[in-house]
Amino acid sequence: MAKRLLSVFERKTTENFPFRDEEFEAVGINLKKEVDRVFGRSLAIRELDSGSDNSTEIELVNLTAPHYDVERFGITFVASPRHADVLIVTGAVTLNMATAAKKTYDAMPNPKFVVAVGDDACGFGILNGSYAVLGCADKLFDVDLKITGNPPSPKDILKGLLALTEKIKKQKIL
Amino acid sequence: MKLNDELTKLFGKQLEITEGVNNELYLAISENEVHSKIIRLYENNFELVVLFCAENFTAQVFTLFYAFEKAGFSEILVLQCPLEGKSASSMATIFPSACWYEREVTDGFGIEFSGSFDKRRLFLHETYPADFHPLLKSFKNGKIETRPATAEEYPFKIVEGEGVYQIPVGPVHAGIIEPGHFRFSVIGETIFNLEVRMFYKHRGLEKLAEGMTPMECVKIAETISGDETAANAVAFCRAVEKISGIKVPRRALQLRTVFLELERIYSYLGDLGGMIVDVAYPAGASPFLILREEIFRQNEALTGSRFMKGAVSVGGLSRDVPEQALRNLSTFLVAFSKHLGSAEGIDSTFFSLVDRFETTGKVKPEILIPLHVTGPVARASGKTTDTRIDHPYGLYREMNLKVRTLQNEDVLSRFSLKAEEILESIKIIQYMIGSLVSGEVAVTYQFKDGYALSLVESARGQNVHWVNVKNGLIDRYKVRTASFCNWQAIEHAVLGNIVPDFPLINKSMNLSYAGTDL
Repeated sequence: MAKRLLSVFERKTTENFPFRDEEFEAVGINLKKEVDRVFGRSLAIRELDSGSDNSTEIELVNLTAPHYDVERFGITFVASPRHADVLIVTGAVTLNMATAAKKTYDAMPNPKFVVAVGDDACGFGILNGSYAVLGCADKLFDVDLKITGNPPSPKDILKGLLALTEKIKKQKIL
Repeated sequence: MKLNDELTKLFGKQLEITEGVNNELYLAISENEVHSKIIRLYENNFELVVLFCAENFTAQVFTLFYAFEKAGFSEILVLQCPLEGKSASSMATIFPSACWYEREVTDGFGIEFSGSFDKRRLFLHETYPADFHPLLKSFKNGKIETRPATAEEYPFKIVEGEGVYQIPVGPVHAGIIEPGHFRFSVIGETIFNLEVRMFYKHRGLEKLAEGMTPMECVKIAETISGDETAANAVAFCRAVEKISGIKVPRRALQLRTVFLELERIYSYLGDLGGMIVDVAYPAGASPFLILREEIFRQNEALTGSRFMKGAVSVGGLSRDVPEQALRNLSTFLVAFSKHLGSAEGIDSTFFSLVDRFETTGKVKPEILIPLHVTGPVARASGKTTDTRIDHPYGLYREMNLKVRTLQNEDVLSRFSLKAEEILESIKIIQYMIGSLVSGEVAVTYQFKDGYALSLVESARGQNVHWVNVKNGLIDRYKVRTASFCNWQAIEHAVLGNIVPDFPLINKSMNLSYAGTDL
């Protein structure tokens, strides 16, 4: 206990973790540059689960965990769609979620972009043909970019976001 | 003692018991004796594991199945009750856990339960037309005509009185979380009532499975809940293997055990980290999240998928794992235990953290059996339950594991229990790697028709799969995950707590939305 109290006075250092991934860092630094240019220094993402198997959400959460920590690159996951530039849709759109999904999208300010993440959201999943789903994200939104995978890895998702900024730049939307 | 003898003692000698292929006993009973039989079981400490319906199983159109377990017996009792028509009597006043099951059967098959206290629709929300019952064989899977979701409003339980107000939360939550609706009735900051409304993610998996070959259906099992991929794949494959009499090679069984325990470890690490994040102490959570990511990478090295998707198949594994990856895993786990121990040690003595964890979100012992609360949530409230030990499968039967329980019922209890169980899982993995035999990881086989029940302890608790194969194709696939039971427990666990503690309690119980909604 005494040690714990005394630790207040110790010099604070940032631990140097041995898990640096050069490829990921390179993508991130590129993305940071693009986010600065295209989105005015910060890219706010609202995640919408419209019927996934939850593995894609886990990978999105992992992006904010210490190994990846994408806030360094100007990316934040925001709580409200009203604060979001990009809507990330995961999973096929179920009938039960369709209304809530649409309302979430409608609550976002313009200009707004939709990225489908994961095979189900992109239309390559096994749910096609089920009575309970409307279909992939395309059925409800104009999807700007698809990131496939079951689920895509955090690195794949980051690469996808870089592709999105490049696409927006090319189309001169912003 | 055998369950058979116990049943003879309860019901007398003339019992028509059929032995299932997987240590389950099917007892055929008629509609008018089901109520009295279930009361008898209730009085003798049997616990309702699952209730489901199948069409064209017997000469009658519909058959209801009530599965029960009793502490001390490894067999499962399944009451098999053919229905004369489209109605049955409700068991929800005896076993409250029957309530959701009965509503599920009503939605799926259109069977009405007389005497039930809750007749609202369950997984079919307002957008589904009236008289639509997707699990009927007469309904061919495909697009349906929906109606506007605003057609009627779902009647939540209304709590009225001075100072009582409601907080509706969801289905879309603030954060990267799955969708579900929580309706709080609150007095001041204290939760007076909570009603959980799930099934926003209902994807129709059970219907989708029908008509598939068992091989194709593994994918459906894996997609039930992404972070229970291995548990559900193993549960499904075991059912099919039992039906067809397939003997899985020992190496495959050993590696399956490694996968199951790795899944438990990464799931628990997420919970430990998540609980700490939810009391606003991210620095304390980081060590757990770092270890969790390392496990995902180990999974990928072993199976090619961070969630071990596609690793398990009927008859064994899809492919063998690289030797080097196994050796690396073994070395990694030695360092892992040390990191975990120090992280847990630091956090569990951190005042503000313990202050938030202690006495929060108590899961009281009196709801454990009525709601069939399962997994670490039940064990942290003192219930001796673990499917790996109660109904051993795979290699768990030779492992001589002990059920760990803690008595404090609160968030801290669940935190400590999960940290302890991770260390146990590491031991199991190391033992499996140490004793790994060489040889094939899959066998060739012929599919046979039949049905079987299969139980697996996922990271969240007991998952139940019932598979019926007809003419080589899946005729009915019933899944009940641990979350389906534990979601009902959270309605009780939050009572008397303050609203800001809800996310913490939720995280400590780690409930899957996808696994409940199917």
